[in-house]
Amino acid sequence: TAGLQVSSGLQDLSLRHRGGHRRDFHDIGINTRQAMAHVRESKTGFSGRMVRLTTNHFRLTSRPQWVLYQYHVGYNPEMEARRLRSVLLLQHEDTIGKTHAFDGTILFLPKKLDNKVTELFSRTRSGEDVKITVTLTNELPPSSPTCLQFYNIIFRRILKMLNLQQIGRNYYNPGDPVCIPNHRLMVWLGFSTSILQYEESIMLCADVSHKVLRGETVLDTMHSLHCEVGEERFRDACAKELIGLIVLTKYNNRTYRIDDIDWDNSPKGTFKKSDGSEVTFVEYYRKQYNIEISDWMQPVLISQVKRKMGNIQGPVILIPELCFLTGLTDKMRSDFNMMKDLAIHTRLPPEQRHREVGRLLNYIQKDDNVQKELRNWGLSFDYKSVSFTGRVVQGERIFQSQSTFDYNPQFADWTKETRGVRLIRAVPMDRWLLIYSRRNCDVANTLVQCLFKVTPSMGICMKKPDMIEVDDRTETYLRVLKERVTHATNIVVCILSSSRKDKYDAIKKYLCTDCPTPSQCVLARTLSKPQTIMTVATKIALQMNCKMGGELWSVEIPLKHVMIVGIDCYHDTVSGKQSVAGFVASLNQAVTRWFSCCIVQSRGQELVDGIKACLESAIRNWSKWNNCLPSRIFVYRDGVGDGQLNTLINYEVPQFLNSLKSFGTDYRPSLTVIVVKKRVGARFFAEVGGGLKNPPPGTVVDTVVTRPEWYDFFIVSQTVKNGCVAPTHYNVVYDTSQLKPDHVQRLTYKLCHMYYNWSGIIRVPAPCQYAHKLAFLVGQSIHKEPDVALSDKLYYL
Amino acid sequence: MDKNFQEEFMQIIKFEPPLYKQRHQFVRDLVEKYKPKKVADLGCADCRLLWMLKFCSCIGVLAGLDICANAMKEKMYTLSPLPVDYLQPSERSLTITLHHGSVAHKDPCMLGFDLVTCIELIEHLEESELNKFPDVVFGFMAPSIVVISTPNSDFNPLLPGVMLHRHPDHKFEWSQAQFQSWALETARCYDYSVEFTGVGDPPTGMEKVGFCTQIGVFIRKYPPSGLSVQSETPTEAVYKTIFKVVYPSLKDEKYLQNAVISEVIFTAQIIKRRLMSKREEYGDDPGRKSKFQLSMDCFSDQLGKLVVEKNMEPFVSGNEVYIPLATIFSFPKVNQLCGTFEKLCKLIAGKVTLSNDGSAVMFSIEHENEEN
Repeated sequence: TAGLQVSSGLQDLSLRHRGGHRRDFHDIGINTRQAMAHVRESKTGFSGRMVRLTTNHFRLTSRPQWVLYQYHVGYNPEMEARRLRSVLLLQHEDTIGKTHAFDGTILFLPKKLDNKVTELFSRTRSGEDVKITVTLTNELPPSSPTCLQFYNIIFRRILKMLNLQQIGRNYYNPGDPVCIPNHRLMVWLGFSTSILQYEESIMLCADVSHKVLRGETVLDTMHSLHCEVGEERFRDACAKELIGLIVLTKYNNRTYRIDDIDWDNSPKGTFKKSDGSEVTFVEYYRKQYNIEISDWMQPVLISQVKRKMGNIQGPVILIPELCFLTGLTDKMRSDFNMMKDLAIHTRLPPEQRHREVGRLLNYIQKDDNVQKELRNWGLSFDYKSVSFTGRVVQGERIFQSQSTFDYNPQFADWTKETRGVRLIRAVPMDRWLLIYSRRNCDVANTLVQCLFKVTPSMGICMKKPDMIEVDDRTETYLRVLKERVTHATNIVVCILSSSRKDKYDAIKKYLCTDCPTPSQCVLARTLSKPQTIMTVATKIALQMNCKMGGELWSVEIPLKHVMIVGIDCYHDTVSGKQSVAGFVASLNQAVTRWFSCCIVQSRGQELVDGIKACLESAIRNWSKWNNCLPSRIFVYRDGVGDGQLNTLINYEVPQFLNSLKSFGTDYRPSLTVIVVKKRVGARFFAEVGGGLKNPPPGTVVDTVVTRPEWYDFFIVSQTVKNGCVAPTHYNVVYDTSQLKPDHVQRLTYKLCHMYYNWSGIIRVPAPCQYAHKLAFLVGQSIHKEPDVALSDKLYYL
Repeated sequence: MDKNFQEEFMQIIKFEPPLYKQRHQFVRDLVEKYKPKKVADLGCADCRLLWMLKFCSCIGVLAGLDICANAMKEKMYTLSPLPVDYLQPSERSLTITLHHGSVAHKDPCMLGFDLVTCIELIEHLEESELNKFPDVVFGFMAPSIVVISTPNSDFNPLLPGVMLHRHPDHKFEWSQAQFQSWALETARCYDYSVEFTGVGDPPTGMEKVGFCTQIGVFIRKYPPSGLSVQSETPTEAVYKTIFKVVYPSLKDEKYLQNAVISEVIFTAQIIKRRLMSKREEYGDDPGRKSKFQLSMDCFSDQLGKLVVEKNMEPFVSGNEVYIPLATIFSFPKVNQLCGTFEKLCKLIAGKVTLSNDGSAVMFSIEHENEEN
């Protein structure tokens, strides 16, 4: 089957927690397109056949000649409290009107007041006269960036009117939850929404969002962890399981991220209230919320609040018993059964997803209060989602040694076609080790037999391995590795009994840093099923070959002297503090070989400092392989959080340019930097025979739902078996290549074919996925930079 | 109108905690003392008092009334259930309703309350409204307890800058004598007793001026009569309901059933997992047993204690694990939710896969495939 995961510990975990508390999640106001003359006129491609698409965007329309009036509101004498400012101003509703949005300083009105400056007088209860000066500062057209902020404020108001509950950034309907008692989960259906200026109009982008809530408190989780791991490892286990998770509290509607656990504190501890008095947590919750804390011995949770909330500054202390967990832990994500049970509810097929989104618009249309609010502001929505035409570019031809073949465009997969075909470059396995524990002796032998069956047709020349039986302890594995691995060893294969991470980590760490050798870990369980063993052995053979520097297949890359770079980040949310940037760069014309290096940096910063050094050594390696310097460089940058685009452009792109300078003033290659984003709100549905289907792989969208200030496009490259396919967003933020948009799009799509761990098209260009794998391995298991001796191999696969 | 702000201006005499908090705390203490089930707040404004009262576990019905819909709308969502209220529905039921209307009008939705609070309300009433007020509250609503608070004008000279009234919207402010005579007369007329108190202590030496806020607590003297005054004048609904929420509660069969199913399956899963891992531990690698066994045993401690009778032991037969309902029922959480074994059976019927005779929860051990 296609979905097999061979290696243990290589589960594809998506990066958690990007962004954090930032205001501008949509990178509004960053105009990169104007600096690129060749796309100022048009950024659209042309190749491929047309496909009719519907999306999840809805036009926001405003009355003709619509203007939003922005006023500044000043108080004399100065009033501090926001609530008070609001009350004093709203005493004059007859002047300012019933429809208003006021944040304490800025007042938005749909109508213009008679005068540019209006002075109002309010009297406070103590008889103090306050002069309020309302000054017109702006008359905003519908497309002004300030208006966008305003639309989003109003829209949040509307979602509240619809009785949806805010959790984090999204809104959910608590009325009809889906319960999954097997795992004590509850799933709420809701919506993620944003209103932005798109190519031709301002639109609401609404997507279905599922919130996974857990029917247990943090204290419950701690109890079961205690039972599971025992006293000794308890605290570590808690830290690992809980830190980084988002909790909901029992008494208010805020979410907090667990940043730490304070084992020395307890509910009996005290804190200072805003009035300065000390109170214990037990007392506080009893008095304030009538909540009795039952366990007085539990530790407390620490949440670092980034922005100032009311009077609270510094860390917030939370009581485990009063906190409910949301979302999934890494452990849960790797629980196949749980994910399967969840997927039934969360993976909506296209038709259904579109219908669910339509439901939100339906609520808006049907609710009298909402309609009144919108009318008062002179706004309305198109209640039918936007439709337009996209293009489906042609599938790629796959080259493998002497044969070439086309894949079935519907499946975007060439597992069958590639069977029994020789690899482009098959690395012989003359000397290799197979290490296994006594109880896995049988599966080890089976594996060897199967490998002997599948490798000849691939062209891999394999000798018998050194079979080493060990007892199942980490120390023994390490001792054997130290004794038996030499420079001549091609690869080490370890069969592991369990997916225990410490053993895997120890093996990888030793073989990536102390004694650089490619290695392959396999779970014994994976090899235990006779019906799948041949498929598994085939995959393992291919994966091992890549790890030793082999090449599987290629696609036609029309550009000459081109170097392709992929970058992704991994953030260690648990032991905190460490971030890893994975960096890979192509080495040859066929882009089948990759150089890699990574940057391990303390503290969770998204944007990478050591990139300059990486790019320089990538160029040096490229020139060694090609006897010249690359004339075109493409950087695919993944792992950029919402709202970080500006930093990337101002900080990282100059670093790239800087490192090019170190090769002399004559060296002026073209540079193209493309920000890759997998998590986007946009969804596309192909209109097929009156119904809605997932758009086919190769669907390119570069109109209507792209942003006018960017050189951006979407590609749907992969297929999914269940649910809706997610398009990947590409934002070309810097480009001196002079290539037509069509060519950049095609190159990007080609690169999605080049990921060797999957004989099919993937969601992102292969270099991004390689960089992700590398960063993940280093961040999860190795924690320091791997040895350069491995840098020209895909050892991290 | 936001009456909670007025004290922020009283810079010289500063009350700590602020006066509005003291008033709310006063109501809350009263609730703790009398445990009313149905409470109405007249002139609820920004719903702050209602929000505070929703945490009082004795209250099952909360209602708010205000003449200004906007004031209520601004903050009414604070009265909505929290996500956690859905995650862990409470034992009690709670309904909160907000009405837009005047205390000078009678509406049947205000009948049957145990406690009616009028905090800083009456001084905002026009004379005509004030005249109708006693008949509406004491005559028509006729709750067992009424709380009325209002500014004490005897205190005003101590407040800087207060010329006539503490707030421009106040139609009057009464001295202690004025308030007490009005209250006593009202109480007499409608057969209530009244006691006077207040919050906001006067400065030492000036005790004569009384509390900054004066409060009258009215207790109905006659027993509840079911149908009394209201039957003579059948009233129509005149208030407009602008907000209504029903909190998830285990009293509601739907939530109870969900909670029970969830708890049953979760408990059964735990038992199954322990059973399976025990089998696996024994099955292979006997060398490592001792070390693991230890933590395993402490894990199944609770289970061990509970499994006393033979027929409560979970067992494996063929490809299925059977976990007797009796075992599951013996877990405190399940027990507490259902009360009786019959109730448990009834609630999970058709929702959880059971053995043929219906005595055990059945799971397939078609094994946890990690690959597909």
